[in-house]
This record gives sequence, structure tokens and C-alpha cells, in this order.
Amino acid sequence: MQQREEKQLDASVESLVTRVAHLKGSLQSFIYKLENEYDRLTWPSVLDNFALLSGQLNTINKLLRNEKTPSYKSLVIIPLLLSPDRDEELAKLTEQRVPVFSHEIVPDHLRTKPDPEVEEQEKQLSAEAARIGPEAAQKQIQTLNKLCSNLLEKLNNPRDDRDSETSALRQNKPSFNLADTNALVAAVGFGKNLSKCRPPGSVAPGHTGQAMTSAGPTMQQVTIAGAAGHQPGMSGQVTQQQPGQPGKMPSNIKTNIKSASMHPYNR
Amino acid sequence: MEAPPVTVMPVTGGAINMMEYLLQGSVLDQSLESLLHRLRGLCDDMEPESFADHELVYLLRGQQGNPFILRARRSLLKPTSPWHLRYLGQPEVGDKSRHALVRNCVDVAASHSLPDFLNEMGFRMDHEFAAKGHLFRKGQMKIVVSKLSRVHVPGNLENTEPLSLSYLVELSVLAPAGQDTVSEDMKSFAEQLKPLVHLEKIDPKRLM
Repeated sequence: MQQREEKQLDASVESLVTRVAHLKGSLQSFIYKLENEYDRLTWPSVLDNFALLSGQLNTINKLLRNEKTPSYKSLVIIPLLLSPDRDEELAKLTEQRVPVFSHEIVPDHLRTKPDPEVEEQEKQLSAEAARIGPEAAQKQIQTLNKLCSNLLEKLNNPRDDRDSETSALRQNKPSFNLADTNALVAAVGFGKNLSKCRPPGSVAPGHTGQAMTSAGPTMQQVTIAGAAGHQPGMSGQVTQQQPGQPGKMPSNIKTNIKSASMHPYNR
Repeated sequence: MEAPPVTVMPVTGGAINMMEYLLQGSVLDQSLESLLHRLRGLCDDMEPESFADHELVYLLRGQQGNPFILRARRSLLKPTSPWHLRYLGQPEVGDKSRHALVRNCVDVAASHSLPDFLNEMGFRMDHEFAAKGHLFRKGQMKIVVSKLSRVHVPGNLENTEPLSLSYLVELSVLAPAGQDTVSEDMKSFAEQLKPLVHLEKIDPKRLM
């Protein structure tokens, strides 16, 4: 009978030790990542690490709850020999973290009660819980459960429902207007609705509207002033043009430039 | 009068021919904030730059049909910066499967005497407009969200009137000729902006 219990104890302690070792390993790698690769770390990978840790804690919990595990609460560890000398075996077992089994480390490592502050807080909490009475406590538990289940439902519901609502909203408010797109592209491309001097031959009176007619005369005046300013500079090849065709002016000037561009300095 | 096609131009002087890959769309004023939020999330991590520019488009008419177009742009927020002169060629009619509008592009900086210089050369200003908005960047791609305004009195930028109730959204990349992977990247980025904005290849000749 006792042997079986002992064997059970041994087996459960073994598995507990392995699980805790796994947990320790993943914690170590996580800390390393946080300390050294923090600039390359993305939130999803941090979440993955946390998920891993929580999974491992879960398995430990399951192990402890397992029926095959004896109740550790009934077992007590009593230190039989304390010595201030360095113990190599212990050092090797604990990876150099506990080299000496002495009076200093025993209170920390073999502790069974929580810290005094934590104990205080726990006492306060349990006093508070006892104070509110069982019915109030039940009601609070029920509201918490309801809130959690509501939230879970909202999160788990198929995305289609949500998408149909949002797409309906979006359809009511279109965010762009195709006619506007075309008007803007035409304006940038070749100055539709912007051009003041319409080149002779191209007819677009329907599009231009009021703004053009008001700006038209001012523009023509400017070009004529410009053309008149050029005249003294030209060698008499410029003839006086009518106000309605400012577009014809540049051609004379251009022929002048063309003849002058027969230079030897070709690129 | 247009520059000869890219394939024919000799490589001279060490300057590479740059092509501009372009996708355009627009967004209504009321949806501008959501677009800016989305762009702030998608684009490179820096404060989006706002700009206010005044662009003048100069035409040089020859005896032949198509006039030569140059675009001169100056910043209204930084009046001491140099002017920016740009030539944009005709869109390349390559294969229809290319997702973006591709055209030859030459950019140079110029001093403040640019308008006078162009006038002396024989160019005449065809139209001008003011553009105000935000500039985002993602890798090679540049996203410009701008409000275009009509200038009523030439040279006077106090009195401008917005052209429409929308902002123009342009996604552009400047890359040497022949890199077709660029348009794939642009298309996938444009997908991420749907359904707020539909960026597509709009041929301006179709809208003439």
C-alpha cells in the first residue's frame, strides 16, 4: 500500500519536474527575446509566447488535479541537515543556483505560507467575501458570467453579420464620385475648365461656363501686353495681331529661335 | 514637337530616361479624413507632408499639330524654393494589361525667373491652377491627395475657387524605363485603398 503511494508520488513528482522545466525553458527564451530582440518583436509573436506559457501552466494545473497525484498538502519537507559548506551535488542539480544548503536559503525555498503582506491581503479579501453574504455573492457571480458570455458571443459570431451592417452603411455614403474624378483628371491633364485662351479650332464652349468668360478678357489683355512688349525686341518680323488670336504670336518668335539654334554645340 | 519615343533616344550624358507610372482617383471631401487615416497607417512612418503649390502650364505651338507642353510649379508655402519644371510625354501605348499609365518624365529645378524665361522662349501660359493637399510616401511610391482650385485672376492666388467637391488622389512612381514590376506593386497598393478610392489608369485623351 505504502509502496504504491510512494511510487505514485515519485511518478507525479517526476512529471511535475519535467513540466516545470518546460515552463522554465519557455520563460527563459521569452525573456531573452524581450531583452535582445525587442526592436524586431511583433505583437503577434509576443501573444504566441504568452499563449505557450499559459498552455504550459494549464498542463501543470491539470497534472496537479489529476486523481493519480497524491495530495501534496499532506506531505511535509523537513530539512535534516543544514551546513554552510558548498555542496557540489546540490549545485549541479540546481544549475549553480543553490550551491549551499544553509540557513539563509531554507526559509525561501521550503516556504509553505505566502508572504506576510500577501497573507494580510488574502485575509481581508476573505473577510470581505464573507461579509456580503451568499445571495449577493451568487448574484455577482451570475452577472459576471452573463457579461462574459455576451462578449464571447459577440466575438464568436460569424463575421458576415457584422460585415453586412457596415457595408450597408458604407453604401449609403459613397466616398468618391466618378464624374469628379474625370473632371479633376481632365483639369490636370490638359486644363479642361481652366484654360483661358482657347486655341483656335478647338471648341468647348459648353464645358467652360461662367468662370472662363470672366477670366477670358483679362487673360487676353495680358498676352497682348506681353506680345506688345516683345515687339521692340524683334527684328521687325512680328506683325500686329488681332486680339482674338493671341495663339498666333509665338510662331513668329519661334522661327527666329529656330534659325538661331544652328550652333555647333550639339550635345 | 514631342520628344522622340523612348526606344529611339540615344543614351547620352549619363541621364537615365525616367518614366512616370501613374494611377488616379478621387475622394469626396467628407471621406477625406478616413482616407488620410488609412494612408497614414499604410504609408511609411513619417508625418504626412502638406503642400500648397501653384502650377502653370506652358504651351509652345509649332506649325505642326501638337503643342509642346511644359509644367512649371512653385510652392506657395516655401516661396524661396526653386521652381520645378516638368515635361510629361504622351502615355505609352504598350500592352493593355499594364495597370498604370506610363509616360516619359523629365524633371528639373529652375530659378525664379522661369516664367519670364519661358515667355522669352516663346511659350505661352495656357492655364494655371493651385493645388493644396498632402503628400505620402511608401517606398518608391508617392501618393498625393490634393484639392485643385481655379485661379480667377492670373498671378493672384488670393482669390481661388475649388474645381470640385473632391480631392484628387494620385499614386505615382518614377522609375527607369522597362521596370514592369512597378505597376504590379502599384496595383496591390491601390487594392488596399478600395473601396474608399478607386485608383485606376485614366487616359486623359479619353476625356477630351
